[in-house]
Amino acid sequence: MSPHTERVPASGPPVLDIEDMRIERAGTGDPIVTALDLRLAAGESVGIVGESGSGKSMSAKALIGLLPEGVVAKGSARFDGENLLDLSERQWRTIRGRQIGMIMQDPFTMLNPVMRCGRILEESLLAQRRLSRAERRAEAIRRLAEVGITDETVVDRYPFQLSGGMRQRVAIAAALARDPQVLIADEPSTALDVVTQREVLALIKRIQEARGMALILITHDLRVAFATCDRIQVLYAGSLVEAGRADDVRERPLHPYSQGLLLSEPPADRRVRQLVAIPGSVPSAAEVRDRCSFESRCRWARQVCRDGEPPLAVVGDDRRSRCVRLPEIEAEMAALLSKAEEREDGPAGSRSDDALIDVVNIQKVFRSGGRTVRAVDDVSISVRAGESVGIVGESGSGKTTLARMLVGLESPTGGEIVIDGIPVRRWRDLTTNERRRLRRTVQTVFQDPYSSLNPMRSVGWALKEAIVTHDRGATGVERRVGELLESVGLSPGYARRRPASLSGGERQRVAIARALAVEPRVLICDEPVSALDMSVQAQILNLLRQIRAERGISCLFITHDLSIVRQASEYLYVMHLGKVVESGPTESVLDHPRDDYTAQLLSSVPRPEEQWLTT
Amino acid sequence: MTEAAITTPQRLTGRRVRRRPPVLIALCFAFMALVLLMAIAGPMLAPHDPAQQDVLGSLAPPGAEHWLGTDGLGRDVFSRMLAGAQSAILGPLVIALASMVCGNLLGLLAGYRGGIIDSLVMRWVDLMVAIPSLLIIIVVAGALGGGYWLAVGLLIVLTIPTDARVMRAATLEQTPRPYVEAAKTLGVTDGRIMVRHIWPNIAAAAVANSVIIFAGSLVSLAGLSFLGLGAEPGTPDWGQMLSENQPLLFTNPVAIIAPGIAIALTATSVNLVGDWIYEKMSSRGAGR
Repeated sequence: MSPHTERVPASGPPVLDIEDMRIERAGTGDPIVTALDLRLAAGESVGIVGESGSGKSMSAKALIGLLPEGVVAKGSARFDGENLLDLSERQWRTIRGRQIGMIMQDPFTMLNPVMRCGRILEESLLAQRRLSRAERRAEAIRRLAEVGITDETVVDRYPFQLSGGMRQRVAIAAALARDPQVLIADEPSTALDVVTQREVLALIKRIQEARGMALILITHDLRVAFATCDRIQVLYAGSLVEAGRADDVRERPLHPYSQGLLLSEPPADRRVRQLVAIPGSVPSAAEVRDRCSFESRCRWARQVCRDGEPPLAVVGDDRRSRCVRLPEIEAEMAALLSKAEEREDGPAGSRSDDALIDVVNIQKVFRSGGRTVRAVDDVSISVRAGESVGIVGESGSGKTTLARMLVGLESPTGGEIVIDGIPVRRWRDLTTNERRRLRRTVQTVFQDPYSSLNPMRSVGWALKEAIVTHDRGATGVERRVGELLESVGLSPGYARRRPASLSGGERQRVAIARALAVEPRVLICDEPVSALDMSVQAQILNLLRQIRAERGISCLFITHDLSIVRQASEYLYVMHLGKVVESGPTESVLDHPRDDYTAQLLSSVPRPEEQWLTT
Repeated sequence: MTEAAITTPQRLTGRRVRRRPPVLIALCFAFMALVLLMAIAGPMLAPHDPAQQDVLGSLAPPGAEHWLGTDGLGRDVFSRMLAGAQSAILGPLVIALASMVCGNLLGLLAGYRGGIIDSLVMRWVDLMVAIPSLLIIIVVAGALGGGYWLAVGLLIVLTIPTDARVMRAATLEQTPRPYVEAAKTLGVTDGRIMVRHIWPNIAAAAVANSVIIFAGSLVSLAGLSFLGLGAEPGTPDWGQMLSENQPLLFTNPVAIIAPGIAIALTATSVNLVGDWIYEKMSSRGAGR
């Protein structure tokens, strides 16, 4: 093979030219990023896409001189005639914020909670020239107006008094206060709701275009990158595996990993028969040095993939890929892609009459500090036998509170829940026997697999407890633990392991096995995949689908993600501010929304089309 | 991938084994072992009978016959030091264990259940903490005539509230965590959730707190003996020796300095070891 590494000319003279940037731990020499090349022209936007552990955030930190202690960056990142990676802290001060700005993921922590928003903005304006107090305030208000905040009182408010979207806007205004040439946005919309996400991305895009600023958008979400960026770089376990124009990568990925990532993302516009999941989980950069980083999870891996790290070869007009087997497998990859395009019709026919869960006019009111919040307001839903019901809504819509009431973690303020014929008003008033029957009917899979397993207990201990709790004289418990683990795709050897040694996907599998241990008839899944990497999400969604098919159990699937709910449910409730605003068969609700809010949610799902951010 | 994941915990333990305890902690452990040995085998190791009086040989300076000299009644100070280790260790051990069991149970109950139980327990704790404990002990022990085990009993009652308060705070932090809620929705009983789920995750705090209580009550018990409200007069006990040998400060100072140093060193090393254990234990578990 010929190592084609000559550089592809970018659209204009580069503002930032990164060549062979390596980031590693100073002590051990363990690599975090093995090689990153990036050429950024003024007015251009480049998306760096990668899962956790890909090194994308570390790369961002290196480019703004904020690498944590014990981590060093080598190579070159030319900006304005200087190598950013060699700058001293003193030199950084003239660049950071002034010429390179940064927006971070979490607007909850990046703004100082004891400073008013006006003060945060004024601080980033300082030093240009002496301004009077009134002038500074006026300038802060002008800057806020630029990011779409017209409410002048915001300058006098503290960050915690603002919503997540507002906070992110204030953070953007602060990052842009000194008119940087390059803006680095590290997951700017991940912590936000879908509707707010679109607004924030549209704002970043609009300002970028208006100012002719260069943008590096770091994200785990391919759809966001496609919708926002001109060019895409895909990072995996610290190495750049594919680079190209956004449209090209979307239509025809040229590396098995980018293709896998693309396929494991559930499509929003159609239901597919099965998501194409990537097996396993993301390795660390240190584990995969001296070979193709994706080799352990690639269906096309051969010996040649293990013989040294493949070069980043030019494979087309402005396209580079690190796959050595690309010429041989290109046709197969294209076939797989078109096969995944196939659409599956949602199950037709009416719902069964056998209701396992019937929620009638339920209410939940929280009172704190003299304020009352109607978290759930007069909601009625039902889950029938063998059916998967989706509840979709943004944070604050009451969907999680509803789920917590169904499993007895909260008691409803009003209304009634009927589970398997047992009416529940207050969980405390039930007899032990009734409670036991309810537990056997309804089980939960929680959102965060990192904290829903007891860190001090082994996997086997947790499963054994789940079995014995409902079947005191259980025999062959060890064998059943093994069977449960196998039913979620783990080997029985996992029983001896502690949660800390498992990956996120493995932990979620264990959590599912634990819920299945009592052989429930309804599985309540509260955002079961939102804490997982994209390539692992598809595995878990497929597993849940398979379990449902095998055991014929019902499912109540709670999520904020419309494309997931499309794959995972047959009947759908849309919740907004504590109320159900629309319900019906999933396909018909999502294809022909009748409620304005549903339509707004649908239009907020990232789409590659140009108009997504402009409308 | 499975293989890689399996090696992770071994790598972690490997790192843990490599980091040996610092020298200071090793010294503390050595000193604690010495005191423990004295407590178990002290009377057998003693060169003289600790109670044997020898009025003619009183106030002997440290020498070959009497390593630490003799006290006003001619008793061998070194032998009394050895024999006194037992009462120095045993009482605090009982106090630490008893208040750990009771305090942890109360703390878990208050923190996990909340509501009325929490209010009742915590108001009682506030009450107990509000009244000066030493004063109560002096009044009660004085009224009932004192005695070593009475002092131990009183100290148990007085340390339970502080332990309960610490454990309640630790429990409150764990209770809203998803693993606890997962256990609840599985139908695991409350008692089992408290003892088998939450407790292992707050054990580091529990152990560290008990060690602090141990060190504190070691000093308190010695103080009570010094005041004549602890060990019976005449029994070999470090606090007792401190008070009995007070007049000897200028004739045989070793007789009073030795028990003082023994008390201070034991309390200090127990405290340091407790801190170290806490750091070790809280680096795993749900402390993050």
